[in-house]
Amino acid sequence: MSPAGKRRGKHYGPIERFDKVERAVHWSTAILMLELIVTGAILYLPTLALAVGHRGFIETLHVYSGIALVVPITVGVAGPWREKLVADLRRFDRWTKADWDWFHRKERRSGAPAGKFNGGQKAEAAFVGGGIIVMLATGVLMRFAPASWINWQQGATLVHDVGFFAIGVGVAGHIYYALSRPEQLKSMLSGTIPRAWATKNTPAWVAEVDADADQKLDALVARASVVDSTQAPPQVGVTSKI
Amino acid sequence: MSETTDAVTATGAPEDVSVPSSTHVGRRAILGLAAVGAAGIAFGTQIDSSLGGALTTVSNALGGLPIPGADEWRIYTVTGSIPTIAPATYRLTVNGMVDHPLTLSIDDLRAMKRTTLMHYFQCVTGWRVPSVRWEGVQLSEVLDRAGVQPGATALRFFSGDGVYTESLTLTQARLPEVLVADRMIGDDVTPEHGGPVRMYVAPMYGYKSTKWLDRIELVNEVVPGYWENYGYAVNGWIGGSE
Repeated sequence: MSPAGKRRGKHYGPIERFDKVERAVHWSTAILMLELIVTGAILYLPTLALAVGHRGFIETLHVYSGIALVVPITVGVAGPWREKLVADLRRFDRWTKADWDWFHRKERRSGAPAGKFNGGQKAEAAFVGGGIIVMLATGVLMRFAPASWINWQQGATLVHDVGFFAIGVGVAGHIYYALSRPEQLKSMLSGTIPRAWATKNTPAWVAEVDADADQKLDALVARASVVDSTQAPPQVGVTSKI
Repeated sequence: MSETTDAVTATGAPEDVSVPSSTHVGRRAILGLAAVGAAGIAFGTQIDSSLGGALTTVSNALGGLPIPGADEWRIYTVTGSIPTIAPATYRLTVNGMVDHPLTLSIDDLRAMKRTTLMHYFQCVTGWRVPSVRWEGVQLSEVLDRAGVQPGATALRFFSGDGVYTESLTLTQARLPEVLVADRMIGDDVTPEHGGPVRMYVAPMYGYKSTKWLDRIELVNEVVPGYWENYGYAVNGWIGGSE
């Protein structure tokens, strides 16, 4: 541990939960997803199909929105702005004891400190990620497969139909949880979450964020010492009580 | 700020706060979903044909809820509503390159040589209704009565909805499984199914079978129809066989 490490102290203020790239990816995907659910319902549910009609237009809208659905996430992970988004995708991937705990009743939980996302959120992320892949593949087959693939096309229709209901339930659950947890919903709008909320609900993540901030501070202090050993340590977004 | 809720003291290096024994559950879940989707594409046709009947029973019991895999009709319209055409005043016009332009009432059609087919209805997007009973007059009978002029090589079909059009070559139109249908599923063709008179082109996808058939015109070249302008095959053979 570097000598600067000894300066570590308390951290204050709201914590950045989602950066601009993540929020842009989330909201553009969300808008497309809702539009796909609405147009998909019009194409699939007989009552709506009859009430709305105009199948040529609705189908075209649905097909190209479906293809566009993968654009935000692809752009998000493709550029130099990817860092936070990729870090969160890694978090979704890795499951800890605390994540499995989420599915248990309170008294049966191990007490492992919770990270940035809980098991339910990780399950939802995997479900939506896998769901988008399956819906895209089956949708492309339904619309663009050569005529000789008719059996696969019929299978694709079956999967796409099942997927419609499954994704409907998944998205409804996502919106329900968001609306009933305003701090987390606000963090997807503003980017930050109150430290008190994070400390209470996601202590492992807060420790991670603070350790990361400390490390950056250490690095800056070390660099500043080289330039001018008498200079006070610079600020890096957290107040570090020495 | 209170010590317990608003500040957290970071202790130890970053590796100490990360929770151990995390596993790549997220990507496995996504791969699992993709595998289920692929299995559905591969075996969906078998699932449809073995469970379709049972699922249809369930679907009907639930008031026509579109259960994936059920042998359900999906009613497609390209305008905002279903045309309502009174059978008593209905007339089918046959004109263009013919010796005797026709206006046929339903009674005229019922007085002609009748043909019954038992054949599935296959949609290009992958759903199918098996064993549908179709009754009407072979299109070739109608063409013989009108007297096709030399030089006519194709037909245009116009729907009573005012928007939908379709096409067939003269050779395709003369196939014995091509009907001007006024009865379907043991009853008069309902407005949803394109009544009182619709086309049924058995060897081709459903979009080739014009609903609310209003007029047939003999022309000297194929003019692509409604869905063909959206990129669907002009020769809509089921399975793509020529």
